[in-house]
Amino acid sequence: MSERRPVSEADLHAYADGFLDEADRKRVEDHLAENPEAARMMSDLQAQNEGLRNAFAPYSVSRASDAQLVAGPSTTAKSAMPRRLTMAAAAAFIFALGGLAGHFIPMAFEKAPTLTAMDALPQEASNAYLIYASEVRHPVEVFADQEAHLAKWLGKRLDIADLKVPNLQSVGFKLVGGRLLPVADKPGAMFMFENEAGRRVTVLVGRNGENRTTSFRFASTGGVETFYWIDGDLGYAVTGDIPRTLLQQIAEECYRQFPS
Amino acid sequence: MSRSPDPHGTGEGGGREGHASPPPSFDAEILALLPQLRRYSRSLTRSDADSEDLLQDCVEKALTHRAQWRGANIRSWAYRIMTNLHLNTRRALARRPSLGIEAAETTAAPIAVSDPLERNRLVQALEILPKEARAVLMLVAVEGHSYQEVADIMEIPIGTVMSRLSRARQMLRQTLQEENVIHLRSPR
Repeated sequence: MSERRPVSEADLHAYADGFLDEADRKRVEDHLAENPEAARMMSDLQAQNEGLRNAFAPYSVSRASDAQLVAGPSTTAKSAMPRRLTMAAAAAFIFALGGLAGHFIPMAFEKAPTLTAMDALPQEASNAYLIYASEVRHPVEVFADQEAHLAKWLGKRLDIADLKVPNLQSVGFKLVGGRLLPVADKPGAMFMFENEAGRRVTVLVGRNGENRTTSFRFASTGGVETFYWIDGDLGYAVTGDIPRTLLQQIAEECYRQFPS
Repeated sequence: MSRSPDPHGTGEGGGREGHASPPPSFDAEILALLPQLRRYSRSLTRSDADSEDLLQDCVEKALTHRAQWRGANIRSWAYRIMTNLHLNTRRALARRPSLGIEAAETTAAPIAVSDPLERNRLVQALEILPKEARAVLMLVAVEGHSYQEVADIMEIPIGTVMSRLSRARQMLRQTLQEENVIHLRSPR
């Protein structure tokens, strides 16, 4: 069609970067079909993008020292704070995090007590997500239409008197259902939620044995993000392949709703 | 990213334990951004050590300049700080030889689509790019920012974003072609 704009170099970049709408994509694709040199360039650009993303993706990880890094240069005092006070600032920061989500006990330095069995929580949560969230027909054992039964059953297996399934409607996710699975070698619960676009998140609840420490962390493996915390003798993990700010909202919502 | 006026924790956390709590969302958001900032930092620098230095400087600056944050887009703001630090600071150049990206192999395993050998060549080819052009390319290709976001982050016109992007990609193409690597996906 003569009214179509000619394809510019900027269009080619925007095509490679996925910024074009359908009509413009079609326009560029027609152009590529007729111009072998442009097609070669496109193929190179796409390969560059893919190569660069793959090369640096492994660096997108949380480290155990991250909380300290953020707390380090002082959140309360000005720059000249003596080194030994940074611990106090870090504690204040963790405390502030507690204020964010509910009522945490300050903790979370690398030298603080380790989380023992719960160390595996984010990994288990991410595994469970990868295995079950992609299931089309059998993502859960008990579907949302039997929510009351689901809560009662899992509450019984986890020995939680009034286990309630979190309600995430306020952040746009509705319950798919839940299942029983091992968490830290004990019976644990997994709840799955889904938004209108079909993106899923899972919420894992596990028994935390004798450990009473509490922390609030991110883990990121293979593109799947987990936000996890331990509250008294229960551990929680919220996992999804969604923007982290949204995942955090969901985690906060869960924290608010779960009994402590 | 939209920030609603809803401060976290007004519901239940008010006045806990007598702490005059600073707005916790700021620290939490910086913390949440660290993995992507770490990736960006590594994509701008030549070594893991340089990358961690840049990341630390960036976090420190973000925290000390928190008052300048207008509550708008904290992600772009953090990227701007890191970009400026990188462009304005002359970092210890050959502090250690460029190691390529081998170190990445020992961390999390990415979905390995391309041949690692060719990926190394690509990453090494980045060293020929001017810093500004490299930053633009990384912001777009690795960090997934829109051209407008890159213009905001770098405080340059969008036309300049496009010309730097084009230059970076052209230089990479040329270098890789000279090395006889035309398509990363080609079998050989």
